[in-house]
Amino acid sequence: MSITFEKLSYTYQTGTPFEHHALQDISLTIADHSYTAIIGHTGSGKSTLLQHLNGLLKPTSGKLVVNGQMIDTKTKNKQLGDLRHEVGFVFQFPEAQLFEETVLKDISFGPKNLGKSETEALEIARQKAKLVNLPDDVLEKSPFELSGGQMRRVAIAGILAMQPNILVLDEPTAGLDPKGRIEMMEMFKQLYEKEKLTIILVTHNMNDVANYADNVIVLEQGRLLRQGVPTEIFSNPEWLNKHHLGLPQTTAFALKLQERGINLQELPLTEKKLAQKLAALLQREVK
Amino acid sequence: MDRFILGRYINGDSLVHKLDARDKLIISMYFIVIIFLANNWQTYSLLLVVVLGCVGLSRINLGFFLKGVSAMIWLIIFTVLLQVFFTSGGTVYWHWGILTLTHYGIVRGVYVFCRFVLIIFMSTLLTLTTSPLEISDGLESLMKPLKYVKVPVYEIALMLSIALRFVPTLMDETQKIMNAQRSRGVNFGQGKLIDQIKAVIPLLIPLFVSAINRAEDLAIAMEARGYHGGEGRSKYRQQIWHLQDTLALGLFAIVTVALLFLRTW
Repeated sequence: MSITFEKLSYTYQTGTPFEHHALQDISLTIADHSYTAIIGHTGSGKSTLLQHLNGLLKPTSGKLVVNGQMIDTKTKNKQLGDLRHEVGFVFQFPEAQLFEETVLKDISFGPKNLGKSETEALEIARQKAKLVNLPDDVLEKSPFELSGGQMRRVAIAGILAMQPNILVLDEPTAGLDPKGRIEMMEMFKQLYEKEKLTIILVTHNMNDVANYADNVIVLEQGRLLRQGVPTEIFSNPEWLNKHHLGLPQTTAFALKLQERGINLQELPLTEKKLAQKLAALLQREVK
Repeated sequence: MDRFILGRYINGDSLVHKLDARDKLIISMYFIVIIFLANNWQTYSLLLVVVLGCVGLSRINLGFFLKGVSAMIWLIIFTVLLQVFFTSGGTVYWHWGILTLTHYGIVRGVYVFCRFVLIIFMSTLLTLTTSPLEISDGLESLMKPLKYVKVPVYEIALMLSIALRFVPTLMDETQKIMNAQRSRGVNFGQGKLIDQIKAVIPLLIPLFVSAINRAEDLAIAMEARGYHGGEGRSKYRQQIWHLQDTLALGLFAIVTVALLFLRTW
């Protein structure tokens, strides 16, 4: 069970003068229970790629298989119900999707659409509210009374309430303060580790990629540029520079150290790794 | 929304693009009036030549205009069929119940079809070659005389230009919220009528909320930039009436005279 793209292409507004090839010939595999980061310049087709995962867009040519279910040009909308259950999709600024009278009702909206009974749905909603660290006293409030960060948590809980196996996140931390950002990223990590979800994250933040992801997909102008583990992707600063991508802060700093003659062998991605390497180097020097 | 050509603007620098927005507004409204002068094949072909000439001058692909027509094709077909089957007079070709197919009916049907196509072509030409901002500026300046009867022309123009500016933004927003709710299991446009109406709520409420938030942000941002209302403001976009604008008006005056001359009284 995994996600496989086979020669998938997508064109917006086919046959009109506004035609735009958003994705071209994408072939890739995302393993089950992996944490995949999709990076690329603005307009490289990241969001278009994501929207294929739960059938919001259907390929213009080629196909993809999500956990055994195939989606191609001919797939009908009616066949996509199960897929929506399988793939949870957190859009950019998901707080814009809240509409119910209370937080709890809003979270239970998804499961109710899947045919769960009122009590079951509310029970799920309560669990998921806890999972995203919402305090108990907000559950009966209107979602519009909450702060921006809390609204986003409610929205994410609403997605998790669909009990997906795959969680798709389109820049989930955009516009959050540093504390909120870290909390949210840690929350996704927990979901990944404890609930065994497959996570697909679109982000511009290379630090998040370095800290959390175990698989990186690089897109450029609708084409797949590269897929690999973060150490591989970030090991070649010139290549990244050429494709207008940045380095994680730690790696950039390590690169500067290396330029000054400190040999780190391979570039570390996280602060912890860098600190370990430096400590090892110092120890060797002491000896 | 792919088929929605009416109301779109395509950047260009053709002669039609360069005409003053006021000029184009006057001409397209005037055109809709004089089209009713046409009542035989000579007059309709004259108008067709004029319109195709204008389209040619705009250097925009004819496909756009045909798309504009195809968006309204059912309305056109319905009206044409009404004309064709319910007009009496002339040679009767076919008869069944209240439906009659007559010579007059066919001719009238063809005329009505031409009228529709010409009007759509002309108004599509206006929106394709004039940016929404120019249109609202043009309307403001054309509505100026109404100031004397206490119509708040400036405010209307401001609302119009803000509204036009936010149409695409709100469309994007709608699409986004629809997608978000779809992934939460809402099926838009499926099921029983009552279910379909219920499915609109998770779309409408967030849309209204976001529109209100947007309005609040915009109002604050406008005030912070020193906006106090219409009194005593200067204009950044100047509208200049060129010789070509007068000439374009002149062309349509000539067309009117020719129409009056060619039509059967």
